[in-house]
Parts: sequence; structure tokens; C-alpha cells
Amino acid sequence: MISCTEFIPAYSELFKFLEAQGGKQAVVDYWEYISDNFLDNLRELVKEHGLRGCWLYWSHTLNEEAADFTMEIDDEAGEFRIVMHHCPSKGRLNELEHIEPYRDYCGHCDVLYRRVLEPLGLECIADLSECEQAKCSFLVRDAAKRGDSN
Amino acid sequence: MPKEVMRRTAADNPYLHKDFHGAMSTGIAYLHERYGEEAVRKYLRQFVEAYHAPLKEAIRRRGLAALQEYLERTYGIEGGDIEIACSEDELVLKVAACPAVTHMREHGYPVADLWVETDGTVNKQLCEGTAFAFELLEYDSETGRSVQRFYRRAS
Repeated sequence: MISCTEFIPAYSELFKFLEAQGGKQAVVDYWEYISDNFLDNLRELVKEHGLRGCWLYWSHTLNEEAADFTMEIDDEAGEFRIVMHHCPSKGRLNELEHIEPYRDYCGHCDVLYRRVLEPLGLECIADLSECEQAKCSFLVRDAAKRGDSN
Repeated sequence: MPKEVMRRTAADNPYLHKDFHGAMSTGIAYLHERYGEEAVRKYLRQFVEAYHAPLKEAIRRRGLAALQEYLERTYGIEGGDIEIACSEDELVLKVAACPAVTHMREHGYPVADLWVETDGTVNKQLCEGTAFAFELLEYDSETGRSVQRFYRRAS
């Protein structure tokens, strides 16, 4: 068995394996496949609860992943934000001295979630500029709400 | 609703996100579908060589005791029901139900057809370059119940 606590290095190695098969596009194809086939829970929560579906989804996953984060939702402003102070996934990869993380490991988050949220009318702004230090932020805006307030 | 804020540190929660088993299964199914059966095994061998290099080294130095410690720790974290019989020459692991398969079945995640390779290929590769070999004696794909044997190669 590969433990769920070993998944992150297994994921990183899968990205490397795919890139060796078909270049970066093969990796992006996989990210899109996961987004389409594995994130139904996020998709359904957002369909049912709107922006608050993001809050419900990440309340579960980020706590189980023991992340160091601040998460905010402002329903009136139509904004949801995660500030990741220390990403448990990238942090774990950085701590493993004997393996080299996939060069664009953090890129998967932006592709996966944007692909679910944008078709549902939510705008996604990811800041991955410090992701090598396991820090990032992800802002989701409800385009309809923002239209109302402007 | 008013603005809400949630602040957590890593110390607030244990690291145990079992839905990752579903993600792993999705990855294996994808590789199988797009690149074929052998690609799944090749990928798992690559994973073992990269991630488990320290464990393989420990098995080379300390034998099956190192593997036993790893298995007890790993299945312990996952809440797995296992029995291990270990000597210097043989380790038999009996898994009542694979914790990953149990989680996926309970939560409606599809279990990849080649999920068995997360035992078969992974453990064979763990033994590569050591004094030991591996065989999967029994495996039930519905529950992941298994009997796994690591044994010293004939010299």
C-alpha cells in the first residue's frame, strides 16, 4: 500500500513520469483529467452553495492536510481567499532531501481549481510567486456579486 | 453572512488526508488508460526508487526488521488491521482489509483496476537490490485483503 501520507511524493513523481512520456503538455493533460474526474465534490458544493462551497470544500481538505493557512470569506463582497503560510504538500517535498520535486509541482493547483470554478462564474487569481518557499495565495471572486456592487 | 476567517497552523491537525487514496487511484487509472499497463508498473518502480531510497538502504543494512518497522508505522497511521510474522529470512504480512481500499469503497471513489500494483510492483521494487524477494500470495480486489511475503533470496 502507498499510504495517503506518501501521496505527495508519489504525485510529484507521477508528474515527472508523465513529462518524460510527453513533455509538459502530458502533465497538463493529466491535471485537466483530475480536475474533470476527481473534483466533483468541489464542483457540487459550489453549484449548491455558491462561493461558500469553496469555504466548505477547503475547510475539510486543508484541515486534513494539516496546512498552515488563513482562509477568509466575505459573502457580501463576493470574495474567498486562502493565504497558505506553509503548504503541507510543497513543504513536505522540500523537506525530503533525497528527492527533487517536480519542477512545476505547484502549477497543478491553479489548473485544477480554476478549471472547476471559472465555468461556474467564479474568477480565480493565484499568486504562486513564493511557492518554492511553500507559500501561495488563492483568491476567488464571485463575478456576479462584483457586478452588483460596481 | 458576516465575513468569516479561519486560521490554522500545522500543529492544529494530524496529517491524514485519506481522500489522497482516491487521487492515487485516479492517477493509476489514468496511466493505465492512456499509456497502458506497463506504464503503471514503470511509474511505480520510479516512485519506489526515488521515494523509498532510504528504506531500501535500511533493508540492505538491517534486513527485514527495517521493513517490519516501516509496515507497522504505515499501517498504524492508516488504522489498518494487520498481522506480521517476521524472522531474519522471511516476513509475512497479513492485511485484513487495505485501509486505502476501505476508504475508497466507503466514499465512492473508483478503485483502479491495477490498484493491486501498489502492493505487487511497489514491494517487488522495494526488494530490488536487496537480499530479499517478494511475492503476493493472496489478494482480494474488493477489500484489498492480502497475504504478502518477503523472503531471503536463495544464494
